[in-house]
Amino acid sequence: MGSQFVVEIQDASIGYSMKEPLLSSINLQFSKGEIVAIAGPSGIGKTTLLRTIAGLVPPLQGSFSINGKKGALRGELGYIPQRLGLVRHASVYHNVLLGALAGHTSPWFPFSTKAKQLTLEAISSVGLDHKIRTPIRRLSGGQQRRVATARTLAQRPSLILADEFLGELDEETMNLVLEKVTNYVRESNSTLIVVEHDISRAKKMADRLLIMDDGRLNPFVSSPITMEVTK
Amino acid sequence: MKSRYLSDADKSLNNSENPIFSFWFTSRWFLLIALLIWLSVIVTNGMVDSWGRLANGGENLMIFIDESLLPPDWSVIEPQAYPVCTEPERLDFTCSTAWIGVVETLKIAFVSTIFGMIISLPLSLFAARNLNPLWISYPCRFILAASRSLPSIIWAIFFVILVGLGPLAGILAMTVYTIGYLGKLQYEAIEGVPRPPLDASNAMGHGWLERSFGVIIPESANGLISQAIFMFEYNFRHGTVIGIVGAGGIGYYINLYLKFLQYDKVIAYLVIIFIVVLLIDYLSILARSFFTEEGDITRPSWWGVFLPASMIDLLKPK
Repeated sequence: MGSQFVVEIQDASIGYSMKEPLLSSINLQFSKGEIVAIAGPSGIGKTTLLRTIAGLVPPLQGSFSINGKKGALRGELGYIPQRLGLVRHASVYHNVLLGALAGHTSPWFPFSTKAKQLTLEAISSVGLDHKIRTPIRRLSGGQQRRVATARTLAQRPSLILADEFLGELDEETMNLVLEKVTNYVRESNSTLIVVEHDISRAKKMADRLLIMDDGRLNPFVSSPITMEVTK
Repeated sequence: MKSRYLSDADKSLNNSENPIFSFWFTSRWFLLIALLIWLSVIVTNGMVDSWGRLANGGENLMIFIDESLLPPDWSVIEPQAYPVCTEPERLDFTCSTAWIGVVETLKIAFVSTIFGMIISLPLSLFAARNLNPLWISYPCRFILAASRSLPSIIWAIFFVILVGLGPLAGILAMTVYTIGYLGKLQYEAIEGVPRPPLDASNAMGHGWLERSFGVIIPESANGLISQAIFMFEYNFRHGTVIGIVGAGGIGYYINLYLKFLQYDKVIAYLVIIFIVVLLIDYLSILARSFFTEEGDITRPSWWGVFLPASMIDLLKPK
């Protein structure tokens, strides 16, 4: 019954127009407890692939399944977009609570003491206790990334999709964020799929590295995944 | 170079050898504006039977100002003869028709802005395309458009027929108009919320309540509050008009003295309205400046009410 894969993509084409799909005939599987980095030239469709897995863009063709179902259930999937997707005018607490609510309450009754508890724990794990009431717009770029990480940690999803979530972070913050997320993935046996432009960083964090090129930029390539590196 | 990578702009540059095309390309905006002006002149000419009427306008204006408007009759800020004023002498201006009218108009504007906002906010949350499917958002937009399609003075006539003369008709009329007008501003602010927080919320599986109250309202709160303050200012300005049809406020007195052709009293009311509007305008800019992002806007000054923004920057001490 249940597939061993958390995400399974079969014969899929993705993009915004049937005439010019960004990527076509892709077959990919992501297993439990795995950290996968996706790298490739810009404009190739890495972000669109992530957004399609997240259910934000419908696939043009083929099938996408998450935990054996067509789409993720509430709270099952944590998504950190390139621009982090934080509510800029709301506080750190508010933003992290949004993650906790998705993971631990019902959509029509989004109140629970457990969610509040998890929110406080997640904020303190990324070291932002002293900024708990500060609006996001007053935080530095690095602090905002820590909030986005805390939001996902408070949610406790079984699949995390992160789009260049390390950005241009300083070494110290990058190590902290990376450590928190990888620890969570290892402990909870969940899956992390991360789009990363810096290949050396991608190799460092991931169990598996997918390098993409669909032949548009290199006419001799026939498969969208040109290289798959497994540690 | 493969042709499919050519953008429209590239293609048009390839046509630049053609002199007619190149003339059109360089002067197209000028030609379009000239065409619009020419069309407006033709249409106006068709509607005006004699342009000679304009010649007498200036002279008529001078006679009107000289004989009827000036000097303004400031008895409107003196206490009314009946009912007898019981206020101490220092405060007896509060028994004047001007004070009573202005305060009543302010009350109507305030109450109808609050009621209007309470009703328009949920409606605009349902009308926003980024939160709801078409079958929910379009009926809500229809309701908002319907209540906005009639100006508040027509709603005032309607409610005067329903509930009789007085401020209640004014409150109902302005509330209905506020729902439509403010609702439109609100759903546009909601649709202007950046995509990433909504994407993250959708991916996490948030329900409509969490998305609306957790993401949309906090993210657009500044815009929503600023629009509500603007709406109060707008309602005060329009509140002066609805009194003309008997829906309360200072417009009632203006209408009264217009009927008796006492234009010197009318001009006194208009001067008072002008001053109050300037005052509210200033307070509105000041209040709204607290709800915009820091650094984007500086606190307004008095001259900001009168002058364009570019001149204010020049006048500011460095």
